[in-house]
Amino acid sequence: MMAEKSKLKGTVADIGLNKNLGNLAFWIHRISGFGLTVYLLMHTYVLSSAISSPRSFDARMGQVQNPFFAVLEILLIAGVLVHMLNGLRITLIDFFDWSRSHKALFWAAVVLFALMMILVIYLQLPKFNPENYGMGG
Amino acid sequence: MVERAGNQSVLSWFLQRISGLFLAFFLITHLNVHHLFHDITTEGIIDFASVQANLASSVWWQVYYFLFVPLIAFHAMNGLWAILADYRPSGGPAIILKTLFWVVGFVLTAVGALTLINLFGGGQ
Repeated sequence: MMAEKSKLKGTVADIGLNKNLGNLAFWIHRISGFGLTVYLLMHTYVLSSAISSPRSFDARMGQVQNPFFAVLEILLIAGVLVHMLNGLRITLIDFFDWSRSHKALFWAAVVLFALMMILVIYLQLPKFNPENYGMGG
Repeated sequence: MVERAGNQSVLSWFLQRISGLFLAFFLITHLNVHHLFHDITTEGIIDFASVQANLASSVWWQVYYFLFVPLIAFHAMNGLWAILADYRPSGGPAIILKTLFWVVGFVLTAVGALTLINLFGGGQ
C-alpha cells in the first residue's frame, strides 16, 4: 500500500513537472472519464425507476427536469464532448501513428469543442425558462 | 519484490478504442434525440409515455439501446481498470479490483437492460 501511495504522490508531482499539452490532455481525459462513469451510475439509477412503475419513473424524471438541471446538463454534454473529441484524437494518434501531430490535433479538438458548445447552449436556451416546464408531457 | 499485475493488456487497449468509436456514434445520437433536440416548449417534460412512444417508433431503437448499454458499461469499467493498471497494483488488490469492475459492469448492464425492457414493454 505504501508503494501505491508514493506512486500517487509521484503522479501529482508529475502534473507540475510535465507542463505540456500532451500531459494536460492525458489528465483531462482521465478526470472526464471518471466523472462520466459517476454520471452513468446516477443516470442508470434514475432511469431504473421504470422497473418498478411508470408512475415512479415520472416522479423521478420530474425532479431532474428544471432550469437548474438544464445547466448541469450543459456541463454533462461538455464532459461528453471533451472525452469524445480527445478520445478520437488518441485513437487517430494510436491507429495512424500521428503522434507527431498530437498538438495540432489537440487544437483542432479545442476548436471543434467550442463550435459544438455554442450549438449546445443555443439548443438548451428554452430549458432555462421555468415557464416552459409543466406544459404537455 | 512484490509481484505486480502488470499494465493494461493489448486487448484491453484495443477494445477501448473500438468501443470508444462506437460510443461516439451512440452518444451523438442519444444526446441529440433525448437531450438537445427535445423541444420543451412543444413536447413538454420527458416522461414514461413520451420515452415509450419514442422507443416504439422503430425496432432499431431497441437494437440501438441493447448495444449501447453493454458497450458503455464495458468502456467505463475498462477505462477505470486502465487508470488503475498504470499504478501497477500488486497481485491481491489487482484481482479484487478487476473482479469488482466486472461485477459493477454486469450489474450496470443488467439494470440497464431491465429498464429498457420495461420502457419498451410499457411497464405494469
